[in-house]
Formats: sequence, structure tokens, C-alpha cells
Amino acid sequence: MPASPTAAGPAGSVSPEVLAAVFSVAAGDEGPALLVAETVGDTPRVTWASEGAVRLLGSDAEDVRGLPVADLVPTLGAGELAVLLRRERASRLALPVRTAGGLLDAVVRSAPAPSGTAWTLTVVPGDGAADRVSRATADAAERRFATLTERSPIPTLLSEQGMRLAHVNDAFCRLAGRPAGDLLGTGWTRTVHADDLGAVVEVVAAALQGEDGEVRARLVRADGAERATVLRFGHVFTPGVGSGFLGTIEDVTDRLAFEARLAHQASHDPLTGLPNRTLLDQHLTTRFSAGGRLACLFLDLDDFKVVNDSLGHEAGDELLVEVAGRLRATVRPGDLVTRFGGDEFVVVCEDVDEADAAALAERIVAALAVPVHLAGVRFRPHASVGVTVQAPEHADAADLVRDCDIAMYQAKAGGKGRVRVLDRSGRAEARDKLRLVADLRDAIERRAITLHYQPIVLAADGSLEAVEALARWTHPERGPISPEVFVGLAEESGLVGPLGLLVLDEACRQVVAWDRQLGAAAPPRVNVNVSALQLDGGLQAEVVSALRRHGLAPARLSIEITESALMTDPAAARGVLQELRDLGVAVAIDDFGTGYSSLAYLRHLPVDCLKVDRSFVAELAEGHPQIATAVIALARSLGLSTVAEGVATPAQAAALTGLGATYLQGFSLAVPMDGAATAAWAGAR
Amino acid sequence: MTALSLGAPPAVDLDRLLAGIDTLAAQRPVAAQVVAVANAEDASARTLAGVLAADVALAGRVMKLANSAYFGMSGRATTLQFAVTVVGFTAVRTMATVALTCLDDESQLPEGFWESTTAVALAASALAPRFGARSQDALCLGLLSQVGVALLHADDQAGYRELAAAHRPFAARRAAEVGRYGISALRLSAVALGQWGFPPAMVAPLTAVDDPTSADGALLRVAFEVGARCTDPEHTPEPVQRLGRGLLGEEGVAAVLEQVREAADDLRRAVVGD
Repeated sequence: MPASPTAAGPAGSVSPEVLAAVFSVAAGDEGPALLVAETVGDTPRVTWASEGAVRLLGSDAEDVRGLPVADLVPTLGAGELAVLLRRERASRLALPVRTAGGLLDAVVRSAPAPSGTAWTLTVVPGDGAADRVSRATADAAERRFATLTERSPIPTLLSEQGMRLAHVNDAFCRLAGRPAGDLLGTGWTRTVHADDLGAVVEVVAAALQGEDGEVRARLVRADGAERATVLRFGHVFTPGVGSGFLGTIEDVTDRLAFEARLAHQASHDPLTGLPNRTLLDQHLTTRFSAGGRLACLFLDLDDFKVVNDSLGHEAGDELLVEVAGRLRATVRPGDLVTRFGGDEFVVVCEDVDEADAAALAERIVAALAVPVHLAGVRFRPHASVGVTVQAPEHADAADLVRDCDIAMYQAKAGGKGRVRVLDRSGRAEARDKLRLVADLRDAIERRAITLHYQPIVLAADGSLEAVEALARWTHPERGPISPEVFVGLAEESGLVGPLGLLVLDEACRQVVAWDRQLGAAAPPRVNVNVSALQLDGGLQAEVVSALRRHGLAPARLSIEITESALMTDPAAARGVLQELRDLGVAVAIDDFGTGYSSLAYLRHLPVDCLKVDRSFVAELAEGHPQIATAVIALARSLGLSTVAEGVATPAQAAALTGLGATYLQGFSLAVPMDGAATAAWAGAR
Repeated sequence: MTALSLGAPPAVDLDRLLAGIDTLAAQRPVAAQVVAVANAEDASARTLAGVLAADVALAGRVMKLANSAYFGMSGRATTLQFAVTVVGFTAVRTMATVALTCLDDESQLPEGFWESTTAVALAASALAPRFGARSQDALCLGLLSQVGVALLHADDQAGYRELAAAHRPFAARRAAEVGRYGISALRLSAVALGQWGFPPAMVAPLTAVDDPTSADGALLRVAFEVGARCTDPEHTPEPVQRLGRGLLGEEGVAAVLEQVREAADDLRRAVVGD
């Protein structure tokens, strides 16, 4: 509240000399603009003016004197003079004062004399002007800001108070799809998605208190479309007004959509649109917990390769899309259908028991079995389905997938279109097998697979012609493991390559070692078996590498391959064998007569020798020499040598020699022996 | 003082009325202090909240105002200091002034005083950008625009009631007030606010309401018109186009009315403290 000392205040306690001095200064040219007004008749008039007042008003002192106060402050109405000229109290009004140069903004203070009919008026110019200047400066700053942001492509907000906006730019109006008038004040909050408004208000509250911040929120346009945005708020302080905020908005809708597309692509199969293996892993990992009730169904389409090979890849793709659609339509809401890879699919269910999962698997098999037309051909899809329900033995989600994969293989082994639920014993068996595979991998890495060698002798004179290298594995706990078991495991688990390399390398090394030890008595050649899986084009390079590594002549090596392996992909096999032959390595067909090779095709195969299967040799003793005879005759007619395997008795040896077999191999001649024993055997001859 | 006739001598002793304004400060010292502190150049939310805390009722109203729909904070203003930050110093000073002049005691006010005042204030706030004014200042000015009415009514209850009933249009009432009291209520509001240190720029529209060339005056004229349409069922609408110097057409009134109606109760409760 303004308060001025009355004339009777401090003046009462000072001397007349002091009063005179003060009056002199106050009334002088340098003094303030002072006026004295008195009521003359009914009209308050100026009765005295200081030199400062005369100068301010720009009139002659004579003109000022007698001037009605109402003329001095023309904006006060007739009845309103009392507001300024109060009888008992000082007053202070900001209002224009009339001067010779026009109206002048000023603050007029009025102090009444004790009589109540006279007042001292002090006129201080410029307060209103200063206020206007200050206001104009602030307005100009705001206009500059508005101009700066108006055309900016960045949606921008400027607050007024709290959540209220004083300004929005065109870019924000475009983003919100609304005119500025709808967005000022708190109008803009209506564009913020209701679920996100709380978070926006939180960040604005923080900005008002001095902390910059950002928040992700959806804006709802006037047309109902949603835009994903990031709103960033900064603190703004205006002295005398308080805190506000400046907000900028980034529309991230397109970026998020792009990221979502990328994420979708990374986690979905583009052909079928199904989640892929990555998403399957995530899905299972987040849902797997001890004691849970997850189930996995592993599907593998039967005869998919036939469709691809015979009808083309487009038909194969069409089939996969059809299967994906049927799977989606067959599973329960909430079940996850994924494409695991190739023609494999995995379905994940929650809160199911074994019966439920098996029932679903049967429904799927039935749904898939409905015929489909592919490239104009009616085809009835079948799938082998392995089912696993979560059990205490499952340590993690990967265990579940692995088990249903195993179950699927078991189903497939049982025939097409079957369902197999992996039960406790099946799981134990599978795990045992897995452990054995792990041990085999370890044994190969440690070169704990050893080789035995069985001599092959010339039938005519019994001289040593070659030895066949035979892999042996003695498990540290389980003892000797049959080659049929561990070679099969190696083929199933991708270890046949490393195993084959090991055998090839060790056999070459051994021959060189025998050469050093025995000289001319060393075995002339070593026969090494290769699997069908090794006929992938890399075999020739591996052979060359092994021969070079040990400095062995190619003629000292013979590669044996089974007839059935040859027939897996005859064209590819022919190419590989030709490469070996070109090197100077001999090639023999093992177990001949057990497969279904075309004799016409045999004629074109680059082989040196046929090995007569031991089963036909055994038939000799039973009085059935026909097949052995035919095989030996066939080889002879094609210019090939023969090795009769499994010669168990001298009688068999004599009979085979009589039939024209080139070489003999069997227990009656020599058992498989380790390297040292073989050396001793050869040296003793 | 119940007789009312145009041309009669002023019915109130203006000097005494104004003296009464000064004494109000003594009755609500905290409110007076808030007004003083809010006026200071170096005012901060912390100092203002510190002073405000001593008047629980007033502090509660500021909190309520900060959380009202008008400021859109959805209840996030949980501390007094933050509430001051949200509503701004001018609004705090306005609230303190309301308390200071006992405008929060509705029993002493003309019937429908706050319904009318909050409607005028919200209309002024909503319309301010069109008229080149700040919404926040316009709100505060609107809230305080009828201080003069309260003062005249307090001094001459029956007479003012009769006057208001007989002269419903805004301009006619102002003329009647001048005739009866020598000063219009609006002018009296300006005097009171000036006396309490509100910046002249904020008070100026009150004195410019009869100036047909003034944008500030136009804003207030239209705000009163919208306020009347909102709260007085017997009001005869005046064309806003003319009142507002063409800055608002009739087609824009409906949206403003809707905004006013949406927030009016909330604001009134915050200001009066219901």
C-alpha cells in the first residue's frame, strides 16, 4: 500500500530554517513537479505550482494557477476526482496528465492538508510509459519468437501458465490437424492421447520447476489419426510472471513404423508371415518358468523335397504358405505358430497337458491332410509331428524345442503323417544319445578315435595287397562303441566330416610310418571308407591335403564308398570319384550287391574295384554261390578287380579264389589290428 | 440510500469508500503481504509460497486453482511452491486480492457475483489472443474487474441491487453507477487495483472500456457480453461484432461460451474456496 507522510508529519519536528531550505529546493527548477490544489467554490483548482511542475506541464506559471484539477487529469470523470483528492488519506494513481505537448503518462500522488480542502500533488512522469515500454519489449520478444517459430518445420509450443499455451506454430497445427485457436490455452491437451496425458503433464510439471525433459506420447489428430511423437520441454522463466515452458514435438510415427517393419522383418518369415526362430526363442524364453505348462509341437512336412524337385520351388513356397494358413486356423487363440526353417514349423501352447497337446497335434495332422492343388497337381500334405510337454527335466526353453525336435524325428522314423509324444523314457533315451554325441565330438577333437587295419590279400598267392582302415572308439565309461553306432551318430549330428578327416589323416600317417619301419614289407595301400555325406565336393581337396601333409603317393590310397551312398546322388558321386581317380587315388565300391545300383550306370562310374558284400560270401557255405559268382563275373567283364569281404574260413577263401575273386579279406586271413600289430603281421610275412 | 434517481447526487461517500479499501489490508495481513511480495521485481515462487503458507485458506485456494481445469495440471500440483509456479504470480496476487477485499465471502456480494465474474474472466482469457492480450492477465483482470461492484454493493446493498436490476445492459449499468455514485464500478475497480500496486498496463483495460478505439476496452466489453449470455437468462444479447471492433463475430461466440461453461464452476470453486 502506498503511504505518504502528511504535511503535519515530519515537518512538525524540524526548524523553520530547515523547512525553508527544503521548500526552496522543492520549489526550484531542479525540484520535483509539485502542485497545490484547493477547493475554490465547488471546484478543486491548482493554486500553486513548483518550477518543476511548470516545466513539466509546459505552460506559464500563470496559466497553471487556477487550472481546474479535472482539466489536469482529464481521464478522471467528474465524480471521480474524489479518487485522487481524498480528504484523509494520500492516494496514488497512474493516469495521463495534460501538458502543453499533450497527454503524458504519469503517476500522480496526492496528499491532503489537514483542512481537507487542499492537497499537495506530485507528478512523476513516465511510469506508464516505462510500463508500456516494458510490455512492448516483452510483446516484441514474443512476436520475434512467434515469427521465428511460425514457419519453422518443427512443431513448437510456448506456454503461458501451467499447461496453458500462449503460442503454437503452424507446424504444430499441421501435426495436430487443428487450427491454433483450438490449441491455445489447454486446448492442445485434448490432442494428447488420453492414456499418455498423465505422462505429458508429469514432464511439463518438471519443466515448470526447472528440469528439461522429454516424453513419448500419441497425438490424436482432428481426423482421428494417431501420430507417435516425442515431446521435449524446456524451462522458461519470465521475471515478474513466473515459470513456463517451451516445447518442441518430433513426429516419430514414420520412424517407429520403419523400425517396427525392420523388427517385424527380423522376427518374421517373409514368405509365410509367421514368426521366425528368433521370435520363437524370445517367446519361449519369456514364458518358460520352472513348473510351467508349456508345450511345443515340432512339425516337419513329409515329401517337401519331392514337391520342390518335381513341381518347382514356387509350388514349394505355395505349399508352405498354405500350411502356415492351416496351422494358424487350427491352433487355439494365444498359441504361437512359427516357421522354424525350411519345411519345419513349431507351435507353442501354454497351460496344456500332454493329452491336450497330442490332441492339437492330431488336429493339425488332419487339417494338413486336406488335399491342395499345387501347379495343377492335387497333393495331400502330410507332416510328422513331435510333441513335448514341459517336464521337470527341462532346464530351459531350448530343452523343450530340442525334445520336440527329437520327437519329430521319432515320428518321421515311424512313417509319414504321424504324431509322436516324447515321454519320459523317450526323453531319457534321447538325452543319452545326446550325451554320446557330445562325447563323440570330444573324442574326435582329442583324436581319441583310433584306427585298426584289416589286411586284404591277393587271392592268388596270399600276398599283402592293402589294409582297410577301420575306426574304433573306446568310450572311457561305456567301453568299445560299435562303429555302426558311432558312425551313424556322426552322420546324424554333423560329425561325419570331422570323423572322416581324422580317419583319412591318421591312415596316411600310418602308411608313412609303416614305410619307414618296414620298407618294402609295408602295406602297399590303405583303404579308407567315406560316407555319402562326404561326397559334397570337398573330398578331393581334403584327400590332396592329407596326402601332401604326409608325403604319401596317391596310388597308396584307395577310397571305399558304399553302393547305397553312391546312389544317393549318383551324378554328384560320379564327379567326386572322377576327381579322385584323376589324382591317382583308387576307388572301390563297398558292400556291392546290397544296393539297387543300375548296372548300366555302374559301367560309367570311375571305379577300380567292387567289394563283394560279406552276406554273399557267407551264402557260399550255405550252397548259394550265385550272387557272389555273378558279382565277380560282372566286375571281371567291366575290367574291375574284386575284394571278397568277410572270408571266415579257408574253404570260403578257396571257393572265392576259384570263382575268380581278385582279393580276399576276412577273419580267416587276418583280423583287424592296430598299427603296431599290423606292422608286426606284415613284417612277419 | 434506497432511492434511486438519475441525476441525484452521489449516493456514497467515495472518499470513505476508498479509505475502507485501505483498512481491508489490516484485516488480512498475509494476503496484503502476498500482494506486496508478488509485486516485487525479484519475486520468486519460493518466497511467494513461503508467505502464502501462513494463510491456510488462501494457500488452499491457490492449490485448488493450480489443479483446476483451467491450468490443465490434472492434480499434479501437489506443493504450494509448484502451485504458485503453475498459476503465476499475477494469479497469486489476484487470489490474495480477492481475499483482501473479502470477495470470498459470498454472503456480502450481489447475487450471482462469482458466477458472473468467473464467466467474464474465462471469456476474457479465451478471447485475449484475438485482442492481442495475454490470456493469463485477462483472466486475472476479469476476476478482479468487479471489485468495484463488491465495494459499491457493500456500501449500498439495497441501492446497488435496485440499480443492477433496473439497468441490466453493461453500458447502461455503468452510466447508472456514475449517476448514482459519481464513479462506475469498473472505474472503482481500477482505482482499487491501482492502489494495490497492480501494474497500470493490466488495469488500463478497466478504464478503457468506454473507449471505442481501444482493443483492451473491446476485449472487456465482449467478455462482459459473453459472461452475461452465459449466466443471465434474461440478458438481451448485444452484437459482439460492434462491441469487439470486429475482432469477434457471432459465429465465434458459441465456442467461447462452451469453453466458459466447461471451466466456470471449477474456477469459481477455486477462487471462492467452496
